[in-house]
Amino acid sequence: MCDIFALSAGVNYTAQQYLPIFAEKSKRNMSGWGIGFFRDNEAFIEKSAEKVYDGEQVHESFQRLARVVDSRIIVSHISCPLSGGRHTAHNHPFSLSFLDHVWLFVHVGLIDGIADYMTTNEPKIDVDVYPARVFEYLRDQLMSYLRYTPYGSLGASVVKAIRNMLAEYPGRYAFVLANESVLFAFCNFRQFMLLRESASFGNSLVLTSIKEGLSDNEWISISPEPDTLGKLLVAAGPDVLYLGDVAHGSLL
Amino acid sequence: MCDLFALSAATNYSAPRSLPIFAAKAGRNLDGWGIGFFRKNRAYVEKSADRAYHEGRFHDSFQRLARVVSSKFIVAHVRLRTSGPIDECHAHPFILQFREQDWIFAHNGKAPAIEAYRSDKFRLEDAVSDSARTFEYLLDGIAARDTESGDAPSLFRAVADTSRRLVEEYPGNYNYLLTNGSVLFAFSNHRQFLLLKGSKQLEGGLLLTTLEHGLSEESWTRFAKEKESAGVLMAILGSDILLKENL
Repeated sequence: MCDIFALSAGVNYTAQQYLPIFAEKSKRNMSGWGIGFFRDNEAFIEKSAEKVYDGEQVHESFQRLARVVDSRIIVSHISCPLSGGRHTAHNHPFSLSFLDHVWLFVHVGLIDGIADYMTTNEPKIDVDVYPARVFEYLRDQLMSYLRYTPYGSLGASVVKAIRNMLAEYPGRYAFVLANESVLFAFCNFRQFMLLRESASFGNSLVLTSIKEGLSDNEWISISPEPDTLGKLLVAAGPDVLYLGDVAHGSLL
Repeated sequence: MCDLFALSAATNYSAPRSLPIFAAKAGRNLDGWGIGFFRKNRAYVEKSADRAYHEGRFHDSFQRLARVVSSKFIVAHVRLRTSGPIDECHAHPFILQFREQDWIFAHNGKAPAIEAYRSDKFRLEDAVSDSARTFEYLLDGIAARDTESGDAPSLFRAVADTSRRLVEEYPGNYNYLLTNGSVLFAFSNHRQFLLLKGSKQLEGGLLLTTLEHGLSEESWTRFAKEKESAGVLMAILGSDILLKENL
């Protein structure tokens, strides 16, 4: 199973203490990696189809990027063989521009049927892997809610989009969707582990799908409750703005 | 009645057009002004007990600051005293530290009941107004929710629940702006907020004011509490309303 990492901070921050550990703990995932971040509100993605960890060493470029990338939001993904990708372009994160933002997306899961989803908007993500279709689906839903109601709630629109997606394409989802200011993380299987770092460590939130977390600190487990649709976390800077079940979302 | 202004944007912005218009349109507020903003996550406030606008002229400092201040969040206030003396330390916005962050707060309304409130943790020592006590009450409430909620408290939920309790325990008129540099909370249980995104005449980002007709001839959108609700709360990030709830 692939793995996800995300960081949200109040100021630009470097994830050099966590990204190499993330790579090491995900070393069973041998089918590529990607790191996404923002600079001046533009999204940048570095990715590779090579193993993130080989010969007891983290991929050199991954290590260097971990040291150099600084951003208020950083997302990373390490791919497993099941993810279907064999080329650099197949690896996450993916990026799309809509609703006046550039968005980054990483996903872990298994969903039947969504590979056939045909987006109604441009641009399309020109790779034949289903996580790209999940991202397009979410983009299409958000645009349909917010394009003509610019003062609508973005959070409530994300909840509605997830509900529709789960109804139309049931499956296992764990994803991070982020623009330059806000990060949405949703899971309806596995768990996310969350750590709030103090000011001396950048006043940041660190999130990962690695079940034991990435350090000896007390990581908080965010797991979907039984008989619910899944958990949604909304983060801005170092703050959890919202954490709740999408079925009972008071966001609507 | 005092008035409030905020600009929220994804990148640092100045408000050289909208801030002077705000001061002029809110010219009946005679008792001071203040502008709050963030630089590298530290909060700064420049304020004065003088008029921001008088007989066709802007306060010199107000006008210069409007041109110079650059931040993702700018919060401004012009004051018509209803509580506390007229001096610089009673002008808004106020700053307090909490959760290793700086918080900026500005308030418009009248809530004499809360003047008796005393916080154990947060003290705006020199200010004796209902607004100062409201700020302390809100941070106390959020801190209490942090403790109750344990591991991953939701900040929006904490602000929403505290605001609802504020109105119940200390009935009054509250419009407030509260920001920690990552998110701007806007709460209203009287009058309204007017919002405008993507202005062609003023600045970009999201503009917000309590002034009834907005700050330009453009199509401002009005937000006010629904009947039977304790107030409306919005969490604003960049130019988006991220979360909104009638409490």
